[in-house]
Amino acid sequence: MRSALFEDILSLVPAITFLIAAQFEPKSPTDKYPFGFVRVNSLAFLVAAVALTAVGVFLLYESAMTLLMAEHPTVAPVKIGGHSIWMGWLMIAALTYSIVVPVIIGRLKLPVAEQLYDKVLHTDALMQKADWQTGLAGIVGILGIYFGYWWADSAAALFIAFSILRDGLSNMGKAAAELLDGAPRDLTGSCISPEAERLRQRLQRIWPSGNVRLRESGRYLVGTVEGIHPPDDLPDLEELMGEDPSWRLARLSFSPPEMLRREDVG
Amino acid sequence: MQPVIFRWGLFCSLFAATAACADLPRDPAGTTERVERTGKLIVGQISGDNLSDQSAKILRRVAQRTHATVHIRQGAGEQLLTDLEEGRIDLVYGRFAKSSPWSANVHLGPPMGRRKIVGKDERVPRFAFRNGENGWITMVQREIP
Repeated sequence: MRSALFEDILSLVPAITFLIAAQFEPKSPTDKYPFGFVRVNSLAFLVAAVALTAVGVFLLYESAMTLLMAEHPTVAPVKIGGHSIWMGWLMIAALTYSIVVPVIIGRLKLPVAEQLYDKVLHTDALMQKADWQTGLAGIVGILGIYFGYWWADSAAALFIAFSILRDGLSNMGKAAAELLDGAPRDLTGSCISPEAERLRQRLQRIWPSGNVRLRESGRYLVGTVEGIHPPDDLPDLEELMGEDPSWRLARLSFSPPEMLRREDVG
Repeated sequence: MQPVIFRWGLFCSLFAATAACADLPRDPAGTTERVERTGKLIVGQISGDNLSDQSAKILRRVAQRTHATVHIRQGAGEQLLTDLEEGRIDLVYGRFAKSSPWSANVHLGPPMGRRKIVGKDERVPRFAFRNGENGWITMVQREIP
């Protein structure tokens, strides 16, 4: 019971961080934060990714320990209205109900996250996926117990734990890349975002002698063309972004060759 | 993602439907099957905790269902519960509190008698079962009114 509560609390973290980040993001720059709060989203993404990883680690530890200790789970009957019903059936009914909500909400969140390029919301959708997968693993486990396989519950949970942990670690890697000014990553994978790559190629075509560098700041792309004097006539945003949403490019700066720069710090 | 959910859903429904056809859950250590096969229902009775009329009646009904005869073995709680854990005994009868340290090692059934709601530290007559023997637990507990 305590572990279920711990897992449930952890699964709320991405949703809470998303709401907090959404409050801070539109705030105007201040003296202490002269660049504004756009990168709150990156910080929230890291927190959400750590929470998802923690759920995976926790589930992995619990199921592995139960398997190693060879604990035989007891599911006793209960009396309802004078009838004795095996508790497993009631547990399956409750788990089925608990699966429906995260499946629906998770499915609804995914397209919104993709439209907004919001990695926190995407991680929250992954957390919902972790929730329904855990529920499904629970059902498989109880059915396994019914058929006398005491290990079924832990084995199903262990299987799901690996999938959750993989998602969590992949997101932690992406969040770290974002904080380290790495190249913008794809929302659903760990490779470089195709639209960032397209933008880089377009910028390189326009300024072939410059060195184009792109990074991600929250949900926005930030680009620098080095070794180039700021042009007098800049192409408009739509032209730079092509078919990709133009709002994604938040800033494009130019640093001339004679600019003070330490090559060893990027 | 959706086809995966449907595949799993279909798999679980078929699994549940198959399960629903069977009567009781299966015991991983086969207690029910052993009692039926050997015709012996070995019950540990903790010294000093005499079997009540109700518990004797429950045992008779379970014995009838499994076509077995009841063999009572008296002894100290520690010994009998260890035997239960190791599968040398099928049931232990005695006065146990829900908060007993043994509750992690064995399954303590519901209280016998008229009072069904008791404090967790209150020692009341119950049957103790080997953990995880869900079919056996379900069969015996069904007989407890």
